[in-house]
Amino acid sequence: MGGGGGSLGPQPKAKRGKNSKRKKKKRVGFVLDMTPLVDIAFLLLTFFMFTTTMVTPQIMEMSVPPEVESQVEVKQSELFTILIREDDSVFYYQGILEQAQAQPVTMKALRSVCVEENMKQVNRLITALKADTSSSYGRLVQVLDVLNQAEADIVKKMEGQKRERKFTLAPVDPKELEAIKDL
Amino acid sequence: MSKIKMKRTGFVLDMTPLVDIAFLLLTFFMFTAKFKSEAESEKKFQIKRPKAAADTSKLPDKDLAIIQIAIDSANIGDTSYYFSMTNTEDRKAVYSKVEGLTAEQREKNLVKVSLNVLDALILQSRLQNLKTKYAIDADKRIRYSWINNLTNVMRKNKANVFNYVTDKRQGNREQQ
Repeated sequence: MGGGGGSLGPQPKAKRGKNSKRKKKKRVGFVLDMTPLVDIAFLLLTFFMFTTTMVTPQIMEMSVPPEVESQVEVKQSELFTILIREDDSVFYYQGILEQAQAQPVTMKALRSVCVEENMKQVNRLITALKADTSSSYGRLVQVLDVLNQAEADIVKKMEGQKRERKFTLAPVDPKELEAIKDL
Repeated sequence: MSKIKMKRTGFVLDMTPLVDIAFLLLTFFMFTAKFKSEAESEKKFQIKRPKAAADTSKLPDKDLAIIQIAIDSANIGDTSYYFSMTNTEDRKAVYSKVEGLTAEQREKNLVKVSLNVLDALILQSRLQNLKTKYAIDADKRIRYSWINNLTNVMRKNKANVFNYVTDKRQGNREQQ
């Protein structure tokens, strides 16, 4: 580790004999020991690598209808209702509850059912999600997630037509709970 | 011409590219690192967020009011609402106007609140700054009634648009 730069100072020429004829090496710049710097750099690198969490939360936007006095009239035949029972099982029916039989559905099948129903009444079908107050929030988000994915399928199937999504979160009716109680 | 052969020990390796990459990674991780916010360091609970399909949506960080519904880790079954705001100025103004908060709570960011106080907090935060966005960060195991009650309060205060905070689901695996 001969320190930096110095080609100054008295040169011991005479003592070197023959070697004195050797050309003096020209030194450019200086030598710096980079070891501690690199040590610290690696230390910090490992620190930041271990402390970083790559999973950042994402969001799911929801909008609920405002509280208004007047009720909006909805054709019951254009209503597609998804129900979540207190044990987190999912049911659906289309149209009027008394006429249509509510059916149990798995999370896997829900997506295709949704797409199918929406294609029957393009841009007119209103999807209503009704969850029992004792069901879990996790299930609700799962269903919302499936609906979002179904939405992508629907848009694809509509081939460029304008899609108007009609969706609402609604309180569950006791009659509906009665209908799916024993299913 | 007899040159003295230098004794070589080991071998020489050019470390430059290695160090270059190391620094590159270091700067990357340093800039992407996000440290725990004030509210996060105050909290004493862990929220198991529901998982949803990955997309590019991100939690806004400006003028955000977060309502967390968490299960107390020390006392299972004890669920409560927690409220926090990212905008410090707004927060101070809002917290000072809301009755039902203790002097100690007014100093903090994350406050454990009842539904009634939450109602007042949402109303005041909307009055303070109309641009305030709301995020609901709830544990997936809680009952839907917690969300339902909260949604009703939000509707009452005309905060009709809000966000559910979720985690990315790894892969495209469907849940049963």
